[in-house]
Amino acid sequence: MSSVHVRVRVAGEHYAVPVEGVLEVAELGDVTPVPGAPRSVLGVRNLRGQLITVVDLATLFGLEDDGPRGRIVVTEDGDRGAGLAVQSILDVTALPEPTEAAESEYLRGAVLADGELIGIVNLGVALDAVARERSPR
Amino acid sequence: MNPDSDILGMAREETTDCLERLERNLLALESGSAEPDAIDAMFRDAHSIKGTASMVGWKEVSSIADAMETRLEECRSQDAFRLELVDPLLRATDALRQTIAGDTGHGSSVIAELACEPPAAAAPPPAQKVGEPRPAPPVDPAPRPGADRAIRVSAEKVDRMLDAVGESVLHHRRLEHQLRNRALTEGDDVAEEELDMSERLLDELQDSVIEMRTLPLSSITSPYPRAVRDIAAAEGKQVELVITGAETQLDRVILEGISETITHLLRNAIAHGVESPRERERAGKPRVARLVLRAEQRGSMVAIELEDDGRGVSPELLARAKAEGSLTEVLAKPGFSTATEVSDLAGRGVGLDAVKSHVERLGGSLEVLSEPSRGTKVVLLLPLTLALLRVLLCERAGQPFGLPLASVREVVAVGDTTTLGGRRSLELRGETIPLGDLAAIMGASAAPLEAFAPAMILVSPARVVGITCDRVLGDQELVTKRLGPLLAGVPGYLGAAILGDGRVALILDPSHLTQRHSSSPSPSSRISEPENRTAPNVLVVDDQFTVRELQRSILETAGYHVETARDGREALERIARDSDIDMVLTDIQMPEMDGLELLAAIREHPEHAALPVVIVTSKGGDADRRLGAEMGADAYIVKDEFDQQALLETIDRLVGS
Repeated sequence: MSSVHVRVRVAGEHYAVPVEGVLEVAELGDVTPVPGAPRSVLGVRNLRGQLITVVDLATLFGLEDDGPRGRIVVTEDGDRGAGLAVQSILDVTALPEPTEAAESEYLRGAVLADGELIGIVNLGVALDAVARERSPR
Repeated sequence: MNPDSDILGMAREETTDCLERLERNLLALESGSAEPDAIDAMFRDAHSIKGTASMVGWKEVSSIADAMETRLEECRSQDAFRLELVDPLLRATDALRQTIAGDTGHGSSVIAELACEPPAAAAPPPAQKVGEPRPAPPVDPAPRPGADRAIRVSAEKVDRMLDAVGESVLHHRRLEHQLRNRALTEGDDVAEEELDMSERLLDELQDSVIEMRTLPLSSITSPYPRAVRDIAAAEGKQVELVITGAETQLDRVILEGISETITHLLRNAIAHGVESPRERERAGKPRVARLVLRAEQRGSMVAIELEDDGRGVSPELLARAKAEGSLTEVLAKPGFSTATEVSDLAGRGVGLDAVKSHVERLGGSLEVLSEPSRGTKVVLLLPLTLALLRVLLCERAGQPFGLPLASVREVVAVGDTTTLGGRRSLELRGETIPLGDLAAIMGASAAPLEAFAPAMILVSPARVVGITCDRVLGDQELVTKRLGPLLAGVPGYLGAAILGDGRVALILDPSHLTQRHSSSPSPSSRISEPENRTAPNVLVVDDQFTVRELQRSILETAGYHVETARDGREALERIARDSDIDMVLTDIQMPEMDGLELLAAIREHPEHAALPVVIVTSKGGDADRRLGAEMGADAYIVKDEFDQQALLETIDRLVGS
C-alpha cells in the first residue's frame, strides 16, 4: 500500500505530509507575528482573505535551523488549519507505508526512499502539540 | 423589505427545523435507535413550535403543537414512550407542515386523534382543546407572493464570498496602482472611468455580502411589542416593553437562532416574573410592569438582556442556588419551572433548559440574575463570529494592531509623566492614568517609544489605562475573524482583521490590556497638552457608547470641546449644573429621558431656552422630525447617513465663530 505525500525539506532533513491533509502549497508570504503565541507559531498570514496560522516545523520538531523558510504547506485537520513553514518543497510522490519506527511523537514513522530517510508527519498529533504548547511568557 | 414577511419566514424556517428533528426522533424511537433524551427533545420541539406559533399568531399551529406537547409531556413524566403514539404524532407533524404552508384545516382531526389515544396513566386528555372553536388566524401563514422568494445559503458560503470579495478589492487597488503608473499618466479617461466604476461596484458588492451576514436586532424585534401586549392581556397583567440597542448588528445566523429564544424569554418573564397589577400595587410598585430588552456589543460578544421588575425568584430558591452553584444552573435544570399553574402560553416546565442548550449551541452563554421581589434579568452572551467591528488602528514596531473603538475614550499625546514604583503615569485633567507600552504588555519585542508617542486611553469598569504605541492610524470598520483553534489559547486577542493593504491587524482585547498594563521605558519629553478653553462646548447625548465616542472624536478633531451624557436626564443635570454648554447634540431613542423630552425640558427652562439643540434622527423618523421641529429643534442629522461634513457644517452654523 502506497499513498501520495508532499515531500518537504526541513532543516536539511526530509519529511512528508500525507496529501489528504494538504490543501495547497504557497509562498511563505508576509507573516504577522502574534505576540504571546506558542514558540513554534511564526504568526498569521493572509492567504486570499483567509487567516492561516503559520507553524514552523523545524521549531516544532526541535531542530536547529536559522535558514530561510521558503514555502508553506497549507494543511487541514478537521476544523484546524495551519500553514506548515518549510525550507522548500521537494515533490509530490507516492510513498510506501512507514517501515521504520521514529522516535519523534510527531511522526507516524519513516521510510527509506532514494537513499533518504523520510519522516512521515502525523498531522493531528503535530497540531495537537502546537495547541497545547504554552506561550513563552 | 417588509419586516413582517421576514419574521414569518423565520418562524416558518424555525418550525420546519423543529419538525424535522421531531420526525427524526419519532422514527428513531420506532426503530429502537433513539438517543436517551429523545423524548425530552421532542417535547422541547413541540413546545418551541407552540411558542413560535402563538408569537406570530398561527392559532391552528399552536393548537396542534399544544396537543402534541400534552402527549409528550405524559411520556416525559413517565420516562416511557408508547409506540402507538408514533402514527398520530407523525400525522400531526404532517398537518403542521401543511398548515404553515398555508394549507389549513387539518388541525381538528389530528388533535382529536391525539386526544383519543388512551392516556398512558392518570393524566386526562385535554378534552377542552378538542372542541375549541378555531377562529381564522389573524396572520395568514401562507407565503405571500414575493415573500417566499428567498434562498437559504449556508453562512460558510457567505464567508467564502466575503473573503473573495475582500481579495478582489485588494487586487483592484494593485491594478489601479499599476495602471496609473503607466497608461494613465497620458490621461486615459476611458480607463480611468472603468476603474472608478469597478471600484464602486466592488464596494457595493462588499457591502452586500457583509449585509448578508449581519442584521440589526430590530429585524426581529418588530412583533415583540404587540406580542407582549397580547401575552400580558391573556395573563391579566399590564406590561410595558422597552427595547434599547435595537440597532446592534448581529450575525444573521445567530439572529435567526435567537428570535425563538427571545420569544420564550418574553413569555416566561410575563407569565412567571411579572405580578398581577393588584399584587404589584400591594408591593408598592407601579401597576404597569416594565420589561426591558437591551442589546449591546461587548468586545467580541453581543449581550442581549431581558430584565423585568417583577417578583424575582423566592429567597428559598436563591438560597438553594447558592448551595448548588448558581441560579442559572438551578433554573436551567431540565423540567424546572417557577410557575405553579399551567398557563396557555408558558409554564409547562420548559423554560431555561431549552434556552440554555440553544444559546450554548450557538457558542454563547446564559446567565440569570434575580433579586426576590425586585425582578429578574436574563443575559444571553452571544459571539460575533463575523462581526463588523469599528476599531482604532495603531502601530507598534511596524505592526498594526486594532482596538475596539468603543473601548477607547480618547487619544492623547504623552506629555508630562510621573513615575512611581517603576510605573509611569499620565496626568490628564486632574486624573492620574497609568501608562503601559503596547509592546511590553503583549510581550512583543520593540524599540523604545519615541518622544510624543500617542497613548490610547482605555476605560474598563474597573480602571482607566493609557496604552502607548508608535502611531495611531485612525479608525476603520473591519470584519474580524477568529485566530483559529491553534491560537485559541493565546490570551489578549479578540481576533484579527485583514486591512485594505493586505496586512493583518491583530485585534486586541481591551480587558486584557487594562489588566496587564505595566510600566515601560519612558520618553523623556516634557510637553503638555494644549487646552483649548475658548472652543465651543458641545454636549453629546446618546445611550450608545460607540456613537458618543464617534461624535466626540469628530468634534474634537474639529476643535470643539466635547462632553457626553448617556440620556436626557443626565444631559439636563449637566446643563443645569453650569451654564457653559454652548450646544446640545442628542439622539432621540434613549432610556430614562429621550431626546424629544430633553428638547422640551430645555425649551421650557427660562435660562437655557435659547440653547441650540441638534437632533440625530434615524432614517425614516419623519414623525420624530416633525415633532422635533414643532418643539423647536435647530437642526437634524440623519444617523444612517451620518456624514461628518454635514455634522460639522451644521454645528459650525449654530455655534461657530
